[in-house]
Amino acid sequence: MEIETEKKDGVTIALIPVKELDAGNAGELKRLMAPVLESSSSVVIDLSRLEFIDSSGLGAILSWLRQMSERGGDLKLCGLTKQVRSAFELVRMHRIFDIFENRAEAVRAFSPR
Amino acid sequence: MAAEGFEREPVAALQEAITRHAQSSLGTPWWELSSRGQFNAVALAVRDFMIERAVETERRYHLRDPKRLYYLSIEYLIGRSLGANLRNLGLYERCQQALTGLGSDLGRLEENEPDAALGNGGLGRLAACFLDSLATLGMPGYGYGINYEYGLFRQEIANGYQRELPDNWLAHGSPWQIPRPDEICIVPIYGHIEDATDRHGIYNPMWMGWRALIGFPYDMLIPGYGGHAVHFLRLYSARSSRDFDMQIFNDGDYIRAVEQKIQSEMISKVLYPSDSVIVNQELRLAQEYFLAACSIRDVLRRFEKSHQDLRDLPLRIAIQLNDTHPALAIAELMRVLVDERNLPWEEAWKVSQKCFGYTNHTLSPEALEKWPVSLLSRMVPRHLQIIAEIDRRVQQRIAAAPEPALLDRISPIDKREPQQVRMVNLAVIGSHSVNGVSPIHTSLLQNSLLADFCSQFPARFNNKTNGISPRRWLLHANPLLSDLINATIGDRWIVDLDQLRSLEAHEKDSGFLEAFRRVRQSNKVALCQFVRDELRMSLDPHSIVDVQIKRIHAYKRQLLNVLKITYEYIVVTEDGKTPPVPCTYIFAGKAAPGYRLAKQIIKLIHEVARVVNSDPRSEPWMRVLFLPDYRVTLAEKIIRAADISEQISTAGTEASGTGNMKLALNGAVMIGTRDGTNIDISNAVGEENVFLFGLRSAELQVMREKQSYRPPALCEQDSRLRRVVDAFRSDLFSRDEPGLFSWVPDLLLDSADEHIHLADLPGYLDAHQRASHAFCDRECWSGMSIRNIARIGSFSSDRTIREYARDIWEIQPC
Repeated sequence: MEIETEKKDGVTIALIPVKELDAGNAGELKRLMAPVLESSSSVVIDLSRLEFIDSSGLGAILSWLRQMSERGGDLKLCGLTKQVRSAFELVRMHRIFDIFENRAEAVRAFSPR
Repeated sequence: MAAEGFEREPVAALQEAITRHAQSSLGTPWWELSSRGQFNAVALAVRDFMIERAVETERRYHLRDPKRLYYLSIEYLIGRSLGANLRNLGLYERCQQALTGLGSDLGRLEENEPDAALGNGGLGRLAACFLDSLATLGMPGYGYGINYEYGLFRQEIANGYQRELPDNWLAHGSPWQIPRPDEICIVPIYGHIEDATDRHGIYNPMWMGWRALIGFPYDMLIPGYGGHAVHFLRLYSARSSRDFDMQIFNDGDYIRAVEQKIQSEMISKVLYPSDSVIVNQELRLAQEYFLAACSIRDVLRRFEKSHQDLRDLPLRIAIQLNDTHPALAIAELMRVLVDERNLPWEEAWKVSQKCFGYTNHTLSPEALEKWPVSLLSRMVPRHLQIIAEIDRRVQQRIAAAPEPALLDRISPIDKREPQQVRMVNLAVIGSHSVNGVSPIHTSLLQNSLLADFCSQFPARFNNKTNGISPRRWLLHANPLLSDLINATIGDRWIVDLDQLRSLEAHEKDSGFLEAFRRVRQSNKVALCQFVRDELRMSLDPHSIVDVQIKRIHAYKRQLLNVLKITYEYIVVTEDGKTPPVPCTYIFAGKAAPGYRLAKQIIKLIHEVARVVNSDPRSEPWMRVLFLPDYRVTLAEKIIRAADISEQISTAGTEASGTGNMKLALNGAVMIGTRDGTNIDISNAVGEENVFLFGLRSAELQVMREKQSYRPPALCEQDSRLRRVVDAFRSDLFSRDEPGLFSWVPDLLLDSADEHIHLADLPGYLDAHQRASHAFCDRECWSGMSIRNIARIGSFSSDRTIREYARDIWEIQPC
């Protein structure tokens, strides 16, 4: 598994490359994401490939937000499928993340007004 | 009224459908199938007809977009479906012809169907009758429940003791169940709350670390009479979210992975027997939550197919809680509205409360459900937070209450250690309607059990007297009597039970009377044959068939019946006095596996039966038997043959009772206390057509308050009581095992006997004597029997459902 990243307007965009994020791969994904999060203070995570997420997966994404906040950075999400959006709503995580339809909107949200 | 279902369906088409299913669904030519295989082929063919109508019904409802009712019940006591479905679809006779043509027999195939025993007794059977009525009335209403793999245990008797065996009713699959893999839902359970703030700095608790269960729905189709509407009962099976938890599997702990899968699937594995000690049973709470969560998700999914604004929810749906078992649905709906759909609390509460109605089924404070806060905190932490918020707001609302203790009593959370959630408080506070199930029950709820709530929310309380389905309990259960009624007054009664009233005009018609007695006698002969086959015991079909068939429970007082039989035995054997007519006393019922007294009563009945039936002095006059494994199918066989219906619960204990209605509808005359709907049946059929006895609830209440019940004094005053008590002291029924029934006199003579057996026994003996004499007068008895049938119309579940629809659900036929 490899995280695809790109940089746009100073923002790092990381694509979660799996269809399912659960107890089986959340640990590995956390390990792979660590250098991405450390390398930038503005990160967008693209979840558009994700079709299923469980509690462990949600926990992993929450930990990324906390890491970024601790370092004074920020993290935004985009491309949530209906199922993934439902899982966020289930645990009320949609209220603490900035969630956007697509990468462009998410990147734009980082721009100074 | 002939069923308007498939009356034009040619017999040949049925045969084609049946043999096609044999070949294509079961992979075997019809003539090579076993009886069970043939039953499956017929059921699948019938299912096709129902699916066709179910699709039409759904299309009609979709176009008209009526308000819908969702009935949430942890139990559905369905029984067999083939015969009842065929009758409701108007296909029974033609199916019989079709099968005759195929060299088979419908009656024989029906015997291959296992009872769907997804319930313990009255509460679950009521739910099944309600679904039948909703479909028959064309009112959009659906049942939600759990697809227990094991229904209520099978009862076997060994040496007079009950033995419980697993009821694996789905062992060979069920042709009635339609799996709906596209409509599974994910249900989170366990985990913890992580306190956080949202993007605006507002407290935002997050439910993390949960385990996911899958709710897998199976639909059982419910055809209304005439086939105009076919609804569904949606039963959920619990599945593991993944076949194995991948992390555990990867770590190499295969066994733990399998265990977790099994643990998830356990949730729908087995129905809890009632009266068992459910306190702190984690699995039971998981079942209740699983039902609540799956149902609410599905209800909202359906709503959101054609509506967007959740504030319209109460205009489009009603949810009825059959007792408190599904009451977590209130917290679940609030959670979804507030957490997932972002409705402000006040708005969500208004919506939720307008959707829910709650039916209470008990008067016993001990039977009210409570769950430890610590357990909820572990299993459904977010729901506990929501219940705590409901609690806080209730306290705020009634803070000005004159009596501070009222606040404590009314709160959903009992703050005394160890803290508990009181489900009845949650259900009453979270519903716009709270109903009892008979007038006396509702009145006792308002004045006693739920008086605190009634003082705060009087408008919520109302009565909906229970009812039974005429299709199941007369048309299907008693075909001979149904045919006679059809020939005499027509068949409108099937959908309008009040029509039976016109039978009274035929009470003096000798031709009708003769036919009526013939039907009753045939049913009795059939029961005797059944008993001979089952117990190898011969009965006199001309004797009075006196039945007490219901769960075995102290308050239902099977013991009182045994005392009466004991007295009669003493009179016959010691005094040489014979009764005016022989009597066959039939008991049937299950005792909860952990309910010691109930199991002792079963043993007692068997030992009394052994002595009475083998004594040549009593044997010609009285027979006592216990028919094992009471279930819907057995009830149908007994009820149609009964002369006397024993409804003898302690006054003020039976919320309603529906066995009394089923027996009266089939012509049995009640010997009963003034309890539950016995009172209403007596009012409806005329007190002269039943035999009432015993203390009234109010009298009992006074007796309790004054502590004036003195059973030894009663014994001194009445030699009949003394002789009965002495019979047990002298081991009359336990010669080989002295002392086996010493608990009986201990219980009877204890002034703390809350079921006041000895106070009610004299009146009960008198009532029996009056009944036996009435039975000897053929004209008199037939008249009473016919009037019971003719005047029982208001106890149809169609009437009950119309009342719920009008007063609570606000749904219409569609």
